[in-house]
Amino acid sequence: MHGLLAVALLGAITHQAASMLWPATRPAGSFSGRFRSVAAPGYANAVVILYLVTALLGAIVYAEYRVSVRIVLEELQMRAANGSFELKEHLAAIGLGMLPAYWWYWRQPATDAAARRARSVLTAILAFVVWWNFLVGHILNNIRGFGS
Amino acid sequence: MSRVFPVFAVVFAVVYTVTYALAVWKNYALFTYHPAIYEFGFGVQKAKDGPAMYWYGWMATSAIAAAIAGGMASLLPAAAQRRLWPGLAWLVPLGAMLFFAWLLRGYFFR
Repeated sequence: MHGLLAVALLGAITHQAASMLWPATRPAGSFSGRFRSVAAPGYANAVVILYLVTALLGAIVYAEYRVSVRIVLEELQMRAANGSFELKEHLAAIGLGMLPAYWWYWRQPATDAAARRARSVLTAILAFVVWWNFLVGHILNNIRGFGS
Repeated sequence: MSRVFPVFAVVFAVVYTVTYALAVWKNYALFTYHPAIYEFGFGVQKAKDGPAMYWYGWMATSAIAAAIAGGMASLLPAAAQRRLWPGLAWLVPLGAMLFFAWLLRGYFFR
C-alpha cells in the first residue's frame, strides 16, 4: 500500500512540476505536451494528502525495515544503500515541514514574484524528495524485500 | 486566514527544518521507539533488545517547536508579518538537505 500510494504521489507531483517548470505550448499535440498541459493547481490537495498518507504508512513499515532489513545491509557492508535510506528518512521529514507552505502557495493566486518563486521552488524540492524516496525505497526493497 | 496562514506556514517550514536538523545532529528526540519489543520511551533512550529508533521523536520535537513558533508569529503585528520573506520556506529546507548530505557523507565516501 505504501508503494502504491508512492506511485500515485509520484504521478501527481511530476505532472504538477512538469506543467509549472516546463509549460506546454497550446494546443499540446504530443504525449509530453499533454503531460505538461495539466491544470497544476488542481494537484496541490492531492499531493498534500498523498504525501501525508504515504509518509504515515512509510513510518509504520520503517520499524520493520529497521529490525529486518537494515541489520542485513549493515552485515553485508552496503554502506551506500544504508546512507541512501538515511537520506530518504531525513528528506521525507523535511518535506513534511514544507507541506503547509506548499499548500498555501498553490491555494492562492501568486500575485508577486517572491510568491511565484516560492511556489515553483517548493514544488521542485518536493518533486525531488518524492523521486529520491521512491527510487531508494524501490531499490532497497529489491535488495532485500520484506518478508523474504 | 489569508493574512495569518502564510506567516504560520513560512515560520513552520523554517523552524521545523532547523529544529529537525538540530534534533538529528544532537539527538534531541522527544521519545524513542524500540521496534524489536514494540515499546516507546520518553526522551532519548539507549537500545534494548534490538535497535532504538529516534526518527519519530525527532519529528515530534520539530513539529511541536514549529507549531509553537508559527502560532506565535501569527500573533505578530501585520507590519512585522509583511517583512517575512516567502523564500525562507524553501531556502532553509534546501540548506537542510545539503546539511544532511554533508552529515551522511561517510556512507558514500571513505
